[in-house]
Amino acid sequence: MEKQKWNLEPDSRREFLANLVSGAATATVLMVVGPGASADHGVGGHSKKHRDLVYVINVNNCIGCGNCVRACKRENSVPSEYFRTWVERYVITKKGIYVDSPKGAIEGFKKINAAIRSESQLARTIPKMCNHCDNSPCIQVCPVGATYRTDDGFVLVDHEHCVGCAYCVQACPYGARFINPEKKKADKCTWCYHRVKAGKLPACVTVCPNKARMFGNLHDPDSEVAKVFKEDRWMTLRPEMHTHPYCFYVGLPREVR
Amino acid sequence: MPNPSPRSHLYRLGGLLVIGLIGFLAVKALATPSSWNHEDWYRGDSPKEIAALPLSYGGNESCQGCHKKTHDQVEAFGHKGLSCESCHGAVVDHAGDGKKIADAKVDMESNWQCMNCHEDQITKPKFFPTFKPTKTHEDVDADMLCSTCHEAHNPGL
Repeated sequence: MEKQKWNLEPDSRREFLANLVSGAATATVLMVVGPGASADHGVGGHSKKHRDLVYVINVNNCIGCGNCVRACKRENSVPSEYFRTWVERYVITKKGIYVDSPKGAIEGFKKINAAIRSESQLARTIPKMCNHCDNSPCIQVCPVGATYRTDDGFVLVDHEHCVGCAYCVQACPYGARFINPEKKKADKCTWCYHRVKAGKLPACVTVCPNKARMFGNLHDPDSEVAKVFKEDRWMTLRPEMHTHPYCFYVGLPREVR
Repeated sequence: MPNPSPRSHLYRLGGLLVIGLIGFLAVKALATPSSWNHEDWYRGDSPKEIAALPLSYGGNESCQGCHKKTHDQVEAFGHKGLSCESCHGAVVDHAGDGKKIADAKVDMESNWQCMNCHEDQITKPKFFPTFKPTKTHEDVDADMLCSTCHEAHNPGL
Protein backbone atom coordinates (compact mmCIF):
# COMPACT_ATOMS: atom_id res chain seq x y z
CA MET A 1 0.00 0.00 0.00
CA GLU A 2 1.25 3.39 -0.96
CA LYS A 3 1.91 5.64 1.98
CA GLN A 4 -0.36 8.60 2.48
CA LYS A 5 1.38 11.76 1.40
CA TRP A 6 0.57 14.85 3.42
CA ASN A 7 0.89 17.96 1.36
CA LEU A 8 2.54 20.34 3.75
CA GLU A 9 4.41 22.50 1.31
CA PRO A 10 4.83 26.12 2.51
CA ASP A 11 2.17 27.52 0.12
CA SER A 12 -0.55 25.17 1.24
CA ARG A 13 0.30 25.66 4.93
CA ARG A 14 -0.13 29.41 4.51
CA GLU A 15 -3.46 28.79 2.80
CA PHE A 16 -4.54 26.51 5.65
CA LEU A 17 -3.71 29.10 8.32
CA ALA A 18 -5.50 31.82 6.38
CA ASN A 19 -8.62 29.63 6.17
CA LEU A 20 -8.39 28.87 9.87
CA VAL A 21 -8.28 32.57 10.80
CA SER A 22 -11.14 33.54 8.49
CA GLY A 23 -13.26 30.62 9.76
CA ALA A 24 -12.71 31.60 13.39
CA ALA A 25 -13.58 35.21 12.58
CA THR A 26 -16.87 34.16 10.92
CA ALA A 27 -17.79 31.95 13.90
CA THR A 28 -17.09 34.78 16.35
CA VAL A 29 -19.23 37.22 14.37
CA LEU A 30 -22.11 34.69 14.29
CA MET A 31 -21.85 34.09 18.02
CA VAL A 32 -21.90 37.80 18.89
CA VAL A 33 -24.57 38.93 16.44
CA GLY A 34 -26.70 35.79 16.57
CA PRO A 35 -28.80 34.37 13.76
CA GLY A 36 -32.02 36.04 15.02
CA ALA A 37 -30.55 39.49 15.45
CA SER A 38 -32.17 40.86 12.34
CA ALA A 39 -35.67 39.49 13.17
CA ASP A 40 -38.50 42.01 13.36
CA HIS A 41 -39.24 42.37 17.08
CA GLY A 42 -42.85 42.62 18.28
CA VAL A 43 -44.24 45.21 20.72
CA GLY A 44 -41.89 44.96 23.69
CA GLY A 45 -41.30 41.33 22.86
CA HIS A 46 -38.96 38.91 21.23
CA SER A 47 -41.11 36.95 18.83
CA LYS A 48 -40.97 37.70 15.16
CA LYS A 49 -44.75 37.72 14.91
CA HIS A 50 -46.97 40.74 15.36
CA ARG A 51 -49.22 40.41 18.39
CA ASP A 52 -52.63 41.96 18.99
CA LEU A 53 -54.34 40.08 21.79
CA VAL A 54 -53.62 41.08 25.37
CA TYR A 55 -55.09 40.22 28.74
CA VAL A 56 -55.41 43.01 31.30
CA ILE A 57 -56.09 42.55 35.01
CA ASN A 58 -57.18 45.68 36.86
CA VAL A 59 -56.28 44.89 40.46
CA ASN A 60 -58.15 47.98 41.67
CA ASN A 61 -61.41 46.42 40.48
CA CYS A 62 -60.93 42.89 41.81
CA ILE A 63 -63.31 42.05 44.66
CA GLY A 64 -61.97 38.54 45.23
CA CYS A 65 -65.31 36.81 44.62
CA GLY A 66 -63.77 33.80 42.88
CA ASN A 67 -66.30 33.78 40.03
CA CYS A 68 -63.42 33.54 37.55
CA VAL A 69 -61.93 30.51 39.31
CA ARG A 70 -65.28 28.70 39.30
CA ALA A 71 -65.96 29.56 35.67
CA CYS A 72 -62.51 28.37 34.60
CA LYS A 73 -63.06 25.05 36.39
CA ARG A 74 -66.40 24.54 34.66
CA GLU A 75 -65.31 25.68 31.22
CA ASN A 76 -62.07 23.72 31.09
CA SER A 77 -62.92 20.73 33.33
CA VAL A 78 -59.92 21.47 35.54
CA PRO A 79 -59.43 18.67 38.11
CA SER A 80 -60.16 19.54 41.73
CA GLU A 81 -57.22 20.85 43.77
CA TYR A 82 -55.68 22.24 40.55
CA PHE A 83 -56.18 25.68 39.03
CA ARG A 84 -55.59 27.30 35.68
CA THR A 85 -56.40 30.63 37.28
CA TRP A 86 -56.53 31.54 40.95
CA VAL A 87 -56.75 34.62 43.15
CA GLU A 88 -54.20 35.56 45.81
CA ARG A 89 -54.86 37.91 48.71
CA TYR A 90 -52.01 40.21 49.68
CA VAL A 91 -52.24 42.07 52.99
CA ILE A 92 -49.29 44.38 53.45
CA THR A 93 -48.49 45.43 57.03
CA LYS A 94 -45.47 47.00 58.72
CA LYS A 95 -44.56 43.61 60.21
CA GLY A 96 -44.72 41.69 56.99
CA ILE A 97 -46.75 40.65 53.98
CA TYR A 98 -49.53 38.10 54.41
CA VAL A 99 -50.38 36.12 51.29
CA ASP A 100 -53.07 33.45 51.06
CA SER A 101 -55.22 31.79 48.45
CA PRO A 102 -57.56 29.30 50.15
CA LYS A 103 -58.47 26.64 47.54
CA GLY A 104 -57.36 29.10 44.86
CA ALA A 105 -60.22 31.36 46.08
CA ILE A 106 -62.76 29.11 44.38
CA GLU A 107 -65.13 29.99 47.23
CA GLY A 108 -63.89 33.57 47.54
CA PHE A 109 -62.22 34.75 50.73
CA LYS A 110 -63.28 34.62 54.37
CA LYS A 111 -62.68 37.75 56.41
CA ILE A 112 -59.05 38.00 57.44
CA ASN A 113 -58.40 37.84 61.19
CA ALA A 114 -58.82 41.04 63.19
CA ALA A 115 -55.15 41.33 64.22
CA ILE A 116 -53.91 41.46 60.62
CA ARG A 117 -56.86 43.56 59.55
CA SER A 118 -56.06 46.25 62.09
CA GLU A 119 -52.44 46.49 60.90
CA SER A 120 -53.18 46.41 57.21
CA GLN A 121 -51.65 49.20 55.15
CA LEU A 122 -52.65 47.89 51.76
CA ALA A 123 -54.81 44.89 50.90
CA ARG A 124 -55.57 43.62 47.42
CA THR A 125 -56.76 40.46 45.74
CA ILE A 126 -54.58 39.57 42.75
CA PRO A 127 -55.91 37.24 40.04
CA LYS A 128 -53.16 35.10 38.55
CA MET A 129 -52.88 32.81 35.55
CA CYS A 130 -50.62 31.92 32.63
CA ASN A 131 -49.03 35.11 31.34
CA HIS A 132 -48.73 33.88 27.73
CA CYS A 133 -45.18 35.25 27.62
CA ASP A 134 -43.61 36.27 24.38
CA ASN A 135 -40.27 34.88 25.56
CA SER A 136 -41.72 31.82 27.27
CA PRO A 137 -39.42 29.67 29.39
CA CYS A 138 -41.90 26.77 29.09
CA ILE A 139 -41.58 26.69 25.30
CA GLN A 140 -37.80 26.85 25.53
CA VAL A 141 -37.51 23.86 27.85
CA CYS A 142 -40.07 21.53 26.24
CA PRO A 143 -38.01 18.68 24.77
CA VAL A 144 -40.67 17.43 22.35
CA GLY A 145 -42.32 20.61 21.02
CA ALA A 146 -45.57 19.94 22.87
CA THR A 147 -45.90 23.51 24.08
CA TYR A 148 -45.86 26.27 21.54
CA ARG A 149 -47.05 29.75 20.66
CA THR A 150 -49.71 30.18 18.00
CA ASP A 151 -49.44 32.90 15.38
CA ASP A 152 -51.85 35.08 17.37
CA GLY A 153 -49.94 34.74 20.61
CA PHE A 154 -51.64 31.97 22.60
CA VAL A 155 -49.22 29.69 24.44
CA LEU A 156 -50.82 26.24 24.24
CA VAL A 157 -50.08 22.68 25.29
CA ASP A 158 -50.50 19.79 22.84
CA HIS A 159 -51.84 16.99 25.05
CA GLU A 160 -51.36 14.45 22.26
CA HIS A 161 -47.67 15.18 22.03
CA CYS A 162 -46.81 16.01 25.66
CA VAL A 163 -44.79 13.34 27.48
CA GLY A 164 -45.53 14.73 30.95
CA CYS A 165 -41.89 15.34 31.91
CA ALA A 166 -42.87 18.50 33.83
CA TYR A 167 -39.81 20.53 32.77
CA CYS A 168 -42.22 23.32 31.86
CA VAL A 169 -43.88 23.17 35.29
CA GLN A 170 -40.50 23.93 36.84
CA ALA A 171 -39.56 26.50 34.23
CA CYS A 172 -42.62 28.71 34.62
CA PRO A 173 -41.73 31.61 36.95
CA TYR A 174 -45.44 32.25 37.59
CA GLY A 175 -46.36 28.75 38.79
CA ALA A 176 -49.07 28.69 36.15
CA ARG A 177 -48.52 25.08 35.04
CA PHE A 178 -49.31 21.74 36.63
CA ILE A 179 -49.40 18.10 35.61
CA ASN A 180 -53.04 17.14 35.06
CA PRO A 181 -53.52 14.10 37.33
CA GLU A 182 -56.10 12.55 34.99
CA LYS A 183 -54.30 13.01 31.68
CA LYS A 184 -50.73 12.95 33.12
CA LYS A 185 -49.94 15.85 30.82
CA ALA A 186 -48.89 19.44 31.40
CA ASP A 187 -51.90 21.72 31.76
CA LYS A 188 -52.45 25.46 32.04
CA CYS A 189 -54.61 28.41 31.03
CA THR A 190 -55.20 28.69 27.27
CA TRP A 191 -56.83 32.16 27.43
CA CYS A 192 -59.84 30.00 26.48
CA TYR A 193 -58.47 29.55 22.94
CA HIS A 194 -61.60 27.58 21.95
CA ARG A 195 -63.85 30.42 23.12
CA VAL A 196 -61.85 33.21 21.50
CA LYS A 197 -61.81 31.30 18.20
CA ALA A 198 -65.62 31.04 18.50
CA GLY A 199 -65.86 34.81 18.94
CA LYS A 200 -66.40 34.80 22.72
CA LEU A 201 -64.37 36.17 25.60
CA PRO A 202 -62.46 33.84 27.94
CA ALA A 203 -64.78 32.33 30.60
CA CYS A 204 -63.12 34.25 33.46
CA VAL A 205 -63.56 37.56 31.63
CA THR A 206 -67.19 36.69 30.83
CA VAL A 207 -68.20 36.18 34.46
CA CYS A 208 -66.04 38.84 36.13
CA PRO A 209 -68.61 41.08 37.86
CA ASN A 210 -66.45 44.17 38.33
CA LYS A 211 -64.39 44.40 35.11
CA ALA A 212 -61.20 43.37 36.84
CA ARG A 213 -60.40 41.07 33.94
CA MET A 214 -60.29 42.31 30.37
CA PHE A 215 -59.26 40.71 27.12
CA GLY A 216 -59.05 42.26 23.71
CA ASN A 217 -57.12 43.70 20.81
CA LEU A 218 -54.35 46.04 21.80
CA HIS A 219 -54.52 47.81 18.43
CA ASP A 220 -58.30 48.31 18.35
CA PRO A 221 -58.75 51.89 19.68
CA ASP A 222 -62.30 51.13 20.91
CA SER A 223 -61.31 48.14 23.05
CA GLU A 224 -61.10 48.38 26.84
CA VAL A 225 -57.55 47.07 26.82
CA ALA A 226 -56.39 49.78 24.39
CA LYS A 227 -57.54 52.45 26.87
CA VAL A 228 -55.32 50.91 29.53
CA PHE A 229 -52.30 51.26 27.25
CA LYS A 230 -53.29 54.78 26.31
CA GLU A 231 -53.09 55.73 30.00
CA ASP A 232 -49.79 53.84 30.16
CA ARG A 233 -50.20 52.65 33.74
CA TRP A 234 -49.65 48.95 33.29
CA MET A 235 -47.17 46.57 34.89
CA THR A 236 -46.25 42.94 34.43
CA LEU A 237 -45.43 40.26 36.96
CA ARG A 238 -41.71 39.59 37.46
CA PRO A 239 -40.37 41.84 34.69
CA GLU A 240 -36.87 40.92 35.89
CA MET A 241 -37.37 37.45 34.38
CA HIS A 242 -37.47 38.98 30.84
CA THR A 243 -40.35 36.72 29.88
CA HIS A 244 -42.31 39.58 28.23
CA PRO A 245 -45.77 38.61 29.51
CA TYR A 246 -48.84 39.52 27.48
CA CYS A 247 -50.89 39.53 30.68
CA PHE A 248 -50.74 43.08 31.99
CA TYR A 249 -51.67 44.39 35.42
CA VAL A 250 -53.09 47.75 36.45
CA GLY A 251 -52.65 48.89 40.07
CA LEU A 252 -50.33 46.06 40.99
CA PRO A 253 -48.73 46.65 44.44
CA ARG A 254 -44.96 46.42 44.16
CA GLU A 255 -44.91 43.71 46.85
CA VAL A 256 -46.69 41.24 44.57
CA ARG A 257 -44.50 38.47 43.16
CA MET B 1 -8.91 -17.36 -1.24
CA PRO B 2 -7.91 -13.81 -2.12
CA ASN B 3 -6.50 -11.63 0.63
CA PRO B 4 -9.12 -9.32 2.14
CA SER B 5 -8.69 -5.69 1.29
CA PRO B 6 -6.61 -3.88 3.93
CA ARG B 7 -9.44 -1.29 4.15
CA SER B 8 -12.25 -3.79 4.74
CA HIS B 9 -12.69 -2.73 8.39
CA LEU B 10 -13.33 0.81 7.16
CA TYR B 11 -15.92 -0.42 4.65
CA ARG B 12 -17.70 -2.32 7.42
CA LEU B 13 -17.72 0.75 9.68
CA GLY B 14 -18.98 2.93 6.82
CA GLY B 15 -21.69 0.40 6.03
CA LEU B 16 -22.85 0.35 9.63
CA LEU B 17 -22.96 4.15 9.73
CA VAL B 18 -25.06 4.28 6.55
CA ILE B 19 -27.47 1.64 7.93
CA GLY B 20 -27.67 3.56 11.24
CA LEU B 21 -28.37 6.82 9.43
CA ILE B 22 -31.10 5.24 7.32
CA GLY B 23 -32.62 3.69 10.46
CA PHE B 24 -32.53 7.02 12.31
CA LEU B 25 -34.14 8.88 9.41
CA ALA B 26 -36.84 6.20 9.08
CA VAL B 27 -37.70 6.32 12.81
CA LYS B 28 -37.66 10.14 12.73
CA ALA B 29 -39.99 10.23 9.72
CA LEU B 30 -42.41 7.81 11.42
CA ALA B 31 -42.31 9.60 14.78
CA THR B 32 -42.84 13.11 13.37
CA PRO B 33 -46.57 13.90 13.14
CA SER B 34 -47.69 14.60 9.58
CA SER B 35 -48.86 18.11 10.38
CA TRP B 36 -45.62 19.08 12.13
CA ASN B 37 -44.80 22.78 11.86
CA HIS B 38 -41.04 22.80 11.32
CA GLU B 39 -40.75 26.55 11.55
CA ASP B 40 -42.34 27.01 14.98
CA TRP B 41 -41.81 23.42 16.12
CA TYR B 42 -45.25 22.10 17.03
CA ARG B 43 -47.95 19.76 15.73
CA GLY B 44 -50.02 21.85 13.31
CA ASP B 45 -53.28 20.04 14.12
CA SER B 46 -53.02 20.83 17.82
CA PRO B 47 -54.47 24.38 17.77
CA LYS B 48 -57.37 23.14 15.62
CA GLU B 49 -58.11 20.40 18.14
CA ILE B 50 -58.03 22.85 21.06
CA ALA B 51 -60.24 25.32 19.15
CA ALA B 52 -62.82 22.54 18.63
CA LEU B 53 -63.37 22.01 22.38
CA PRO B 54 -66.97 22.58 23.50
CA LEU B 55 -68.01 25.88 25.10
CA SER B 56 -69.80 25.97 28.46
CA TYR B 57 -70.36 29.68 29.03
CA GLY B 58 -72.26 31.54 26.33
CA GLY B 59 -72.22 35.12 27.57
CA ASN B 60 -75.33 37.27 28.01
CA GLU B 61 -76.18 37.02 24.31
CA SER B 62 -76.96 33.34 24.79
CA CYS B 63 -79.57 34.15 27.48
CA GLN B 64 -81.47 36.88 25.65
CA GLY B 65 -83.18 34.52 23.23
CA CYS B 66 -85.51 33.39 26.03
CA HIS B 67 -84.91 35.96 28.78
CA LYS B 68 -84.77 39.28 26.92
CA LYS B 69 -87.21 40.93 29.33
CA THR B 70 -85.29 39.92 32.45
CA HIS B 71 -82.01 40.90 30.80
CA ASP B 72 -83.29 44.38 29.94
CA GLN B 73 -84.63 44.74 33.48
CA VAL B 74 -81.22 43.92 34.95
CA GLU B 75 -79.54 46.32 32.54
CA ALA B 76 -81.72 49.17 33.89
CA PHE B 77 -80.58 48.80 37.49
CA GLY B 78 -77.58 48.42 39.80
CA HIS B 79 -76.49 45.03 38.55
CA LYS B 80 -76.17 46.22 34.94
CA GLY B 81 -73.23 44.89 33.00
CA LEU B 82 -73.16 41.78 35.15
CA SER B 83 -73.04 38.45 33.38
CA CYS B 84 -76.12 36.26 34.00
CA GLU B 85 -73.74 33.31 34.31
CA SER B 86 -71.85 34.98 37.19
CA CYS B 87 -74.72 33.98 39.51
CA HIS B 88 -76.73 31.43 37.48
CA GLY B 89 -73.85 29.26 36.25
CA ALA B 90 -72.90 28.06 32.78
CA VAL B 91 -75.59 28.13 30.08
CA VAL B 92 -74.87 24.55 28.96
CA ASP B 93 -76.03 23.30 32.36
CA HIS B 94 -79.35 25.10 31.83
CA ALA B 95 -80.25 24.94 28.15
CA GLY B 96 -79.31 23.08 24.99
CA ASP B 97 -80.70 23.20 21.45
CA GLY B 98 -83.05 26.01 22.51
CA LYS B 99 -84.64 23.86 25.22
CA LYS B 100 -84.35 23.99 28.99
CA ILE B 101 -82.38 21.11 30.51
CA ALA B 102 -82.33 22.12 34.17
CA ASP B 103 -83.11 25.12 36.34
CA ALA B 104 -80.39 27.77 36.41
CA LYS B 105 -80.86 28.07 40.12
CA VAL B 106 -79.45 30.66 42.42
CA ASP B 107 -79.07 29.61 46.06
CA MET B 108 -81.95 31.43 47.73
CA GLU B 109 -81.63 29.51 51.01
CA SER B 110 -78.45 31.27 52.10
CA ASN B 111 -76.65 34.53 51.52
CA TRP B 112 -73.40 33.12 50.20
CA GLN B 113 -73.91 34.21 46.60
CA CYS B 114 -74.63 37.78 47.70
CA MET B 115 -71.86 37.90 50.29
CA ASN B 116 -69.38 36.39 47.85
CA CYS B 117 -69.19 39.82 46.26
CA HIS B 118 -70.65 42.14 48.87
CA GLU B 119 -69.05 41.01 52.12
CA ASP B 120 -67.18 43.87 53.77
CA GLN B 121 -63.49 43.04 53.42
CA ILE B 122 -60.30 45.10 53.49
CA THR B 123 -59.37 43.99 50.00
CA LYS B 124 -62.49 45.45 48.36
CA PRO B 125 -62.23 48.51 46.12
CA LYS B 126 -63.14 51.75 47.91
CA PHE B 127 -66.43 52.41 46.14
CA PHE B 128 -67.69 48.88 45.87
CA PRO B 129 -71.00 48.49 47.78
CA THR B 130 -70.48 46.12 50.70
CA PHE B 131 -72.78 44.95 53.47
CA LYS B 132 -72.11 46.92 56.65
CA PRO B 133 -74.17 46.45 59.81
CA THR B 134 -74.81 50.17 60.09
CA LYS B 135 -77.55 52.65 59.20
CA THR B 136 -80.14 50.78 57.12
CA HIS B 137 -78.84 47.40 58.22
CA GLU B 138 -79.07 48.07 61.98
CA ASP B 139 -82.17 45.91 62.44
CA VAL B 140 -80.97 43.01 60.29
CA ASP B 141 -80.67 39.66 62.08
CA ALA B 142 -77.67 37.46 61.39
CA ASP B 143 -79.81 34.74 59.81
CA MET B 144 -81.91 37.07 57.67
CA LEU B 145 -81.76 36.54 53.91
CA CYS B 146 -80.66 39.44 51.70
CA SER B 147 -83.49 38.49 49.35
CA THR B 148 -86.05 39.38 52.04
CA CYS B 149 -85.55 43.03 51.11
CA HIS B 150 -83.39 43.02 47.95
CA GLU B 151 -84.35 41.64 44.55
CA ALA B 152 -81.15 40.45 42.89
CA HIS B 153 -82.20 41.69 39.43
CA ASN B 154 -82.95 45.12 40.91
CA PRO B 155 -80.86 45.26 44.08
CA GLY B 156 -81.63 48.86 45.10
CA LEU B 157 -84.39 49.29 47.67
